Amino acid sequence: MNNCAKYFLLLSLYLLFASMSMPGFAQANLEVNTPAITSIKQRMQSRHAELVEYYNSGAIGLTQDGMITVRDANAVSLAKRQQVNSLVSAENQDRNALYREIARANNHPEWESKIRSTFGQRWINLARNGWWYQSGGRWVQK
Amino acid sequence: MFCLLTLPASTAFSGFALLLDGIRHPVFQAQSIQVRLGDGHPGAGQLEIVIAEIKVRDYVWKDVQLSCAVFQYKSTVIECEDGYVKIPELVSFPVSLHFYSDTQTIKIKSNLTKNESWTLTLQWKGQSWQGDVTIRNVSLDSIAEWLPDLEQMPKLRSGRVNGTVLFSGSETDLKSAVMDLSIEALSFSDQAGLRAGENIQIAIKAGLDRSKHSNQLYWHSEIFWQQGEVFWQPIYMAAANHHLSMRGVFDGEAMHLLDGSLMFAELGTFQFSGVFDISSKRLRVFELKANKIQLSTLYEQVLQPFLRDTTFAEIEFTGHADWTVRLRDDAVQSIQLDLDDVSIVDARNRFAFYRINARIPWLHEGATIVDLRVQNGHVLKVPLGTVRVPLELNQFNVFLPQLALPVLDGLLKLENFSAGYTEKGWRWKFNGGLSPVSMEALTDALQVQRMHGTLSGYIPEVRYDGTNVSVNGVLQLKVFDGSVVIHNLKLIEPMGLAPHLKADAAMRNLDLELLTGTFSFGKMEGRVDIDVRNLELANWMPVHFDAHLFSSSGNYSRRISQAAIENISALGGEGAVAAIQRSILRFFEEFRYAEIGWRCKLRLNICYMGGIESEPLSRYTLVKGGGVPAITVMGYNRVVGWQELITRLLRITSENEPIIQ
Repeated sequence: MNNCAKYFLLLSLYLLFASMSMPGFAQANLEVNTPAITSIKQRMQSRHAELVEYYNSGAIGLTQDGMITVRDANAVSLAKRQQVNSLVSAENQDRNALYREIARANNHPEWESKIRSTFGQRWINLARNGWWYQSGGRWVQK
Repeated sequence: MFCLLTLPASTAFSGFALLLDGIRHPVFQAQSIQVRLGDGHPGAGQLEIVIAEIKVRDYVWKDVQLSCAVFQYKSTVIECEDGYVKIPELVSFPVSLHFYSDTQTIKIKSNLTKNESWTLTLQWKGQSWQGDVTIRNVSLDSIAEWLPDLEQMPKLRSGRVNGTVLFSGSETDLKSAVMDLSIEALSFSDQAGLRAGENIQIAIKAGLDRSKHSNQLYWHSEIFWQQGEVFWQPIYMAAANHHLSMRGVFDGEAMHLLDGSLMFAELGTFQFSGVFDISSKRLRVFELKANKIQLSTLYEQVLQPFLRDTTFAEIEFTGHADWTVRLRDDAVQSIQLDLDDVSIVDARNRFAFYRINARIPWLHEGATIVDLRVQNGHVLKVPLGTVRVPLELNQFNVFLPQLALPVLDGLLKLENFSAGYTEKGWRWKFNGGLSPVSMEALTDALQVQRMHGTLSGYIPEVRYDGTNVSVNGVLQLKVFDGSVVIHNLKLIEPMGLAPHLKADAAMRNLDLELLTGTFSFGKMEGRVDIDVRNLELANWMPVHFDAHLFSSSGNYSRRISQAAIENISALGGEGAVAAIQRSILRFFEEFRYAEIGWRCKLRLNICYMGGIESEPLSRYTLVKGGGVPAITVMGYNRVVGWQELITRLLRITSENEPIIQ
């Protein structure tokens, strides 16, 4: 199993347990699956392999609201900065869609922001050592 | 005011000091100037000038020092060798200075390093003057120190300059100048790296001439970008013989750009002209023309980065475009956009339009007519035929009174289409109808199970609010010799990553023979009604609904084939047909029935099934027998995974053989 697949497996297990103990919306099923969620996850999984290089170099980092952002463009060659922007933008579109779809699949669209923040914390917890994430408005290296 | 502190005693200087309170000039001001002349090398003296403050426009330098280790004053020559200029915390460089009084010439030379030098020669006669600057391999690092430190501006990191500047003037006026410079290994970046350039090489040729009879300054410039790359968020560009040339006149009040041309390799040439008013800092007029612009390059290099979060984030453009944009007083007055054989194909295969040819005029005030032709295309896999679209444009509003859009072998008629651009994006609405489209062709195009018959209907007002498409009223269709009425139809983010469709549908009097023949389910004769409430599709796959299929009222033939019974029983679960009845199956090809019924409540990938009645028991009736020979089919599986159900259906319909469990 490659690292990318492991990362997503870990996330899935983590979220399975997370769904049992989430205060405020204890019945939220974060592992819910619909055709839309499946296709979003597949896109994210295939993109993750491309993103790892930029997580490792510190060019991109994780935000508290469950998104990613360009942290230090200087860590990427000029020619690749546009590509990094595209990857970040596509990833964030998928992440937004994922949170919205999970909320919809739970029949509670209003849970989207809670699901987003829950995912945000989980992505940070799962981040590898050396990756950057935002905490209290500042960048922190794990 | 000045003080002469010590006078020279002889031709060999013993000492000299001069203190000037200040010098004022329209260009600069200097305060507290100390000049000291002392003994130095044999036959020469040492000169030191310290200026407490020099102010040029908004720039202020303090404690500026000029020192000459070897200073000589002869009858026609003043020489300063081994000199040094120092501006604390800014710059210091070696300098030599020669002044020839007979030719009224001053030469200043600085050998900054072994390979780095610049020379300034200035000569004057009466009120006229002329000069030149020769620059050899001068590093831009020192120039960078002179530039204002603005946080939002990228910082110059490196670069070297070579070239010459020739100039001449009279009194305080510049008469002419010619510049021929090359900049190499130029790098700059802001702190975040979002506006940066590396290894850039550019050549600049420029000149200006003052008119003899008026106070107009004619200027021209050419810039060649020969090497390097630039990322200016969000655009990236690499050098490929890009070329900018401009020619204009400055009359003291306005900068007139007579003609400009920007040539981007692989993209095309942009020509522009205009007048910029200096005092009001406004564009009085401006015109930009682009000819034969390659849209594929324009999209990849310029447009795509700005369209990342839109439907057009991943498309392929081909073809060319010409356009003319005219501005007056900073506002766009008119646009003329012509498209030549343009194709737009969505990489996610949601839409495609091929061979678009269009003339699109737009006016800031007033209406225009767009002439747009599309050869063919598709939207969400539904093919579209050739269409000519005579759109009316009125500022940011679009109106189309009528359009007949070929869809397969039918026509989608749009009426009263109107669209407008608001702060929240585009909004549009229309109504219309669909003239018969063959279901075979439509289902083939949609790559779903082939169906027979035709699809036609009336389309009430369809409205797009920037995110969702909703239908105000009911959508009426005719299919399988019956009618379909769709209520509450809403498309959520139809072009988004996860489009959702919500609707309620009521199908009446569908011909079972057509329906079951379509799906190779086994022959059934009769009529059915189907109610689908709270239908929700995500990514065009069902995720939620309450479906109820039941026999239509009325008199009609009600027969069911052996194969259909076997297939229904397979869907209803093991033991759906009683053993005693199962044996009868062998003897008859067809049976009669009184009623059929099937219910499915889809929740989170599970179908909760039922039959004719809402029986509370574990079993339910799918087919109630009636007549001779009659058969009753029961269902025993109340809960079936949706995917499992679909798989069974696919197996039945693809194999065209009943499944006996």
